[in-house]
Amino acid sequence: MYTKKATFGTVALAGLLALSLGATACGSGGSASAKPVEAPIAMKGFSGDCASKDVFCVGLVTDVGKVDDKSFNQSAWQGAARAAVAAGGHAEYIETVDPKDYAKNIQSFLDRKADVVVTVGFAIGDATATAAKANPAVHFIGVDAFQATTIPNLTGLVFNEDKAGFMAGALAGLLTKTNVVAAVLGTDKVPPVVAFGKGWENGAKFTNPKVKVLTTYHPGGLDVAFNDPTWGAQTAKQALDNTADVIFGAGGKTGNGALLEVARQQGAYCVGVDSDQWETVPGARGCLVTSAEKDIEDGVATLIGQIRDGSVKGGNSFGEVGLAPFHDFEEKVPAAVKTKIEGIVRDIGSGKIPTGVN
Amino acid sequence: MHTDRLRPVLLPVAAVAVAVAIGAAIVLAAGASPVAAATAIWVAAFSGTDAIAATLEKATPLLFAGLAVIVGVRAGLFNIGAQGQLLVGAITSAYAGYRLAGLPPAVHLPLCLAIGILSGALPALLAGVLRATRGVHEVIVTIMLNTILVNLTDWLAGGPWMEQGQPVSRTPAIAGSARMARVAGLPVGFLLAVAMAFVVWFVLDRTTFGFRLATVGANRNAAHYAGISVAGATVAAMTLSGALAGLGGAVESLGIVGRFEPGFNAGLGFDGITIALLARVSPRAVIPAAVLIGALRASSTQLQARARLAPEIVDVVLAIALLLVAAPLILRWLLRLRPGSCRTEVQLTRGWGA
Repeated sequence: MYTKKATFGTVALAGLLALSLGATACGSGGSASAKPVEAPIAMKGFSGDCASKDVFCVGLVTDVGKVDDKSFNQSAWQGAARAAVAAGGHAEYIETVDPKDYAKNIQSFLDRKADVVVTVGFAIGDATATAAKANPAVHFIGVDAFQATTIPNLTGLVFNEDKAGFMAGALAGLLTKTNVVAAVLGTDKVPPVVAFGKGWENGAKFTNPKVKVLTTYHPGGLDVAFNDPTWGAQTAKQALDNTADVIFGAGGKTGNGALLEVARQQGAYCVGVDSDQWETVPGARGCLVTSAEKDIEDGVATLIGQIRDGSVKGGNSFGEVGLAPFHDFEEKVPAAVKTKIEGIVRDIGSGKIPTGVN
Repeated sequence: MHTDRLRPVLLPVAAVAVAVAIGAAIVLAAGASPVAAATAIWVAAFSGTDAIAATLEKATPLLFAGLAVIVGVRAGLFNIGAQGQLLVGAITSAYAGYRLAGLPPAVHLPLCLAIGILSGALPALLAGVLRATRGVHEVIVTIMLNTILVNLTDWLAGGPWMEQGQPVSRTPAIAGSARMARVAGLPVGFLLAVAMAFVVWFVLDRTTFGFRLATVGANRNAAHYAGISVAGATVAAMTLSGALAGLGGAVESLGIVGRFEPGFNAGLGFDGITIALLARVSPRAVIPAAVLIGALRASSTQLQARARLAPEIVDVVLAIALLLVAAPLILRWLLRLRPGSCRTEVQLTRGWGA
């Protein structure tokens, strides 16, 4: 019996060794040719002593998103990394796997003496506020987290989505030939999505009083509403069947599904959301006339700059919104429409034209 | 005698060891240091009271879900519906937790747990009855019920039971009288889960009821011939399985989350299948299996922060371990083991036509 055990032990050990050696060899060979998937800006990680006044450290925590999602989380991370590098400092991120770990993930940056903690998304807002109250010496930025009460060391980076939606809707009102436009949206449980939708509706009616706007919100919960490209495509198809010829897709992958469906149809336009989706959803280039943008990257970078020079304030900070370039449609959009839209964008920005939302 | 007793333990332990070795190789290939990874896991999962509590908190729902799957498997039933049953247990106990505020803790907490148990047992009971009386395969019924229950709980949390005055779909916070605290740094839910593991072990391995379940699981026809009610055993096993999953959900709401929020319990029920297989369908072995996976899960933050490792690596290691346990042939061939005694062999579920 002892012999048996010894044999087992030796074989096991040899097996483990052989296996790990073999796998290592394959692994390193593979990594030379095919690079591992990298974050948009490679994470440098905290080095140096973050506790020291001279070393500037920024930590970013996502809610369940990924920093390479080609939109929301990615732009926030790019802003944080850019600002940290500009300040000669370091940036690092943690992607949350389990929503129960929000507080723990924020705390891990506090333990390592980060100067700024950026949290991305509405869902992680509660945990961020709690951490901010407990750590008055650290400044927090909550992307998309509207602050109902002001905490001096927590700034919510929020956007006037209604304005971006209005600008895009105004363009749609001018472009439509059938006088029917549509919006395929993520859930109405998320206020920014509703603001996009209402703004789109009012903008289209502002430039084209005869227009009919078909607005559809995803009926599902928060966990699926932004991840349902099939529903987005079906809903866009229905809108096309109802003669809509400019369609707004706003709601993560759900909205992307709508854009891709419209791209298959000749003669219809689509409008993207959040970032310039010409860059992030190349498959939609056939119809993508513009995107209703919110500039998360610059917003995060600007706030971090303000934290550096001490001018930052608690409460809410409104980031920039606007329309993305026309790209391929530069020629197709009539000059008169362009002039009119430029005026509307300016007047919406200055507040001269109210969006009529809230 | 010595090695025979060790044999059932040997295989899972060896499987985990091989998986860790392969994991270390993957970590190297990803350009990180296995030593840093091991340090991160140690620091995050075991160094200090808070770290240990975090590990045990992650292990708790895995334990309940693993036990739920085991009870079914013993009777030859594959309860894929632990996820749905867990969600229902989580939301009904949360509802009772905020709705019945004002009751004394000695009444409120046990009542919420009982409600979680009952509501987890109900859908499983339905699957059991359909199986026993109509021969509808429980795998299909429980998969379908999962979809129904996930959407039902989503709707409740974003509709009639939603917390007012804020936009997130979630229930109001559970009253203090129904919250489960830590005792001496240990999460009460974990202690409850360990106690349940021993109860399930005793019931399955030391009672005639457990023997009846095992007989039905081994051979339905023989069990029937021996005078055991196959229908009764099927319904009982499914109901017990659902009750354990429901209790797991209740403990999660009352002990960790403090309310019900969609997305917070994602995948826990399915992890139960992993755990049950890793523990080779032994109720007591579920405890170390759940603690192991709990430790890996608890260290995901530190793995990213200290070792620059994507959290997915942990799942890769787990999947390899599971593959090696579930397909013992691979490991036996790797380690030159001879075919084991029948104790190491586990019949998971009978075929579709049986």
